[in-house]
Amino acid sequence: MFVSAPGRRLTRDLDPAALAALSALAERTRPVAASRTRLLPVLPALAGLLPDGALRRGSTLAVGGSGDDGALSLALSLVAAASASGSWCALVGHPGLGAVAARDLGVDLGRLALLPRPGPAWAEATAAVLEGVDLVVLCPPFPPRRDMARRLVARARERRGVLVVVPGRAGWPEPADLQLRIADAAWEGIDAGEGHLHRRRVTVTATGRRSAARPVHCGLWLPDADGRVSPADPPGAGG
Amino acid sequence: MDRLLVVRCPDLLVDDEGGAGLRTLAGVLTAVEAYCPWVTAVRPGICSLPARGPARYFGGEDALVDLVRTAASAVTPAEVGIADGLFAAVLAARHGVVVPAGGTPTFLAPLPVGILGRSDLAELLDRLGVRTLGEFAALPDADILGRFGADGAHAHRVAGGRSGELADLRDPRTARLLDGGDPGGPVVAEPGFWGGASDADARAARCLATAQELLGPDGVVTAHLQGGRSPAERSRFVTWTDDGRPSARVADPGRGGPGPAPWPGRIPPPAPAVVHPDPVRAELADTRGEPVRVSSRGLLTLAPDRLSVEGGPWEPVSDWAGPWPADERWWSRSRRRAARLQAVTARSAHLLLVERGRWWVEATYG
Repeated sequence: MFVSAPGRRLTRDLDPAALAALSALAERTRPVAASRTRLLPVLPALAGLLPDGALRRGSTLAVGGSGDDGALSLALSLVAAASASGSWCALVGHPGLGAVAARDLGVDLGRLALLPRPGPAWAEATAAVLEGVDLVVLCPPFPPRRDMARRLVARARERRGVLVVVPGRAGWPEPADLQLRIADAAWEGIDAGEGHLHRRRVTVTATGRRSAARPVHCGLWLPDADGRVSPADPPGAGG
Repeated sequence: MDRLLVVRCPDLLVDDEGGAGLRTLAGVLTAVEAYCPWVTAVRPGICSLPARGPARYFGGEDALVDLVRTAASAVTPAEVGIADGLFAAVLAARHGVVVPAGGTPTFLAPLPVGILGRSDLAELLDRLGVRTLGEFAALPDADILGRFGADGAHAHRVAGGRSGELADLRDPRTARLLDGGDPGGPVVAEPGFWGGASDADARAARCLATAQELLGPDGVVTAHLQGGRSPAERSRFVTWTDDGRPSARVADPGRGGPGPAPWPGRIPPPAPAVVHPDPVRAELADTRGEPVRVSSRGLLTLAPDRLSVEGGPWEPVSDWAGPWPADERWWSRSRRRAARLQAVTARSAHLLLVERGRWWVEATYG
């Protein structure tokens, strides 16, 4: 199902530490022409959530919340700066992208390929796209098998892409390098028939592995009144 | 694959110069809209609507077909059918049948390959002794691409019911003439991307082409913004092509646009992150469980208290705003009381559309 790639055997058999060392070595020894920068940029409001202040190439992130409350918006916010700086991005498995919202969050729609309904071939399609696209947002349409998930994570690592998984109801059986959780979503602007949805305050908690194991909390307007993402003061602090 | 209901009007299939056929098709759209506001004009004489949500409302797919056939037939002779994907649904309408979910490959199998509308391909297949869609679909994938090219490979997937539509099935001009609200003008690709000069561009183009081989041409699209009132109207999804331009069938400029329009009735920003491609059925009730409606003056008859989505459990509505009058497309002869409402529950915030007393979730602030 997957195109064979060098290193696949390695990624299965080696322990994570050896693997990390290997991929660091691979990064250093990669020919100059093929080496890309190590990081993809993110919007300033999100930098505090990420251990490097940016998206690390080769890593996998999981973005989730308890309901429909902002996971896709957060994933699109992660796409914004990368797409705007010329990176190719893709959204796999989400049939209902609100393109206006994506644009307002800062996504360059001209750099975002959509694979809205990949069906049963979703994992194969995601693997194909990871071959040449810097950042892939995946909303698995079906519950992924562990080996499928593992191979996609390995593919992202090998191809130096970033895989952002929005597990939704399908779930995601593999631990991610960084987990972003959304909590306490609260809309402002409407009240018993008056006004309109104005902005949503959320708290995003980032939990990582290794150096990023300590959770980081961050208050965001997602979106703010202009449809963008911006920092929010803690609740009650008058923001 | 989308479950689609297709209305096929045999008298209107030929594109007429004077526009009488289009005007009649507009009448059909108006009549069918009574059952679902998401009717799309596909090409002269043919329109489609997503079947899942409305079928639940009207007591099943057969009941929906009967209702729509009666409504459309009052305007012009009409055939109605349901199947998975547009190609099969058009044929289902021609035969006046409801193809059960998942039954599309079996339904297509006995039909002649000529029905794909590719005479070269049909001729070639005929020489190989392949006469039906089923026989064509049975040919191994591996042999198809080299022998019949990308278009042939896609036709192969359509023949086997694995892909929903052929590239030339839709006539964008029809939809545009009937929509009357497209100020977009031609779609112009930004220079230098999709297969442009840079390494990264070439790499991206290659891998997206691979994905397209896997999923069919319409499996990879890009989003383009345009004018409109509803979230759905404001974006358009265009098949990705690696020649640097969105596909010609959508890029057809059609009429020149009137420029930015004020779009009265547009919901104030921010825009919802999720715009449901299929209408999602909803019920909105007050504290006593009475259904909320919109009065002739455009006001809610009761204060919303709880919401049920797709027949799910009632969820308390913590806040709401609206209603905003929804768009009336120019062909609508009857004045419709359609309106939009924002409703917040513990889990999400939705944009609801109400029309003729029926509520739908149009978008979600996901």
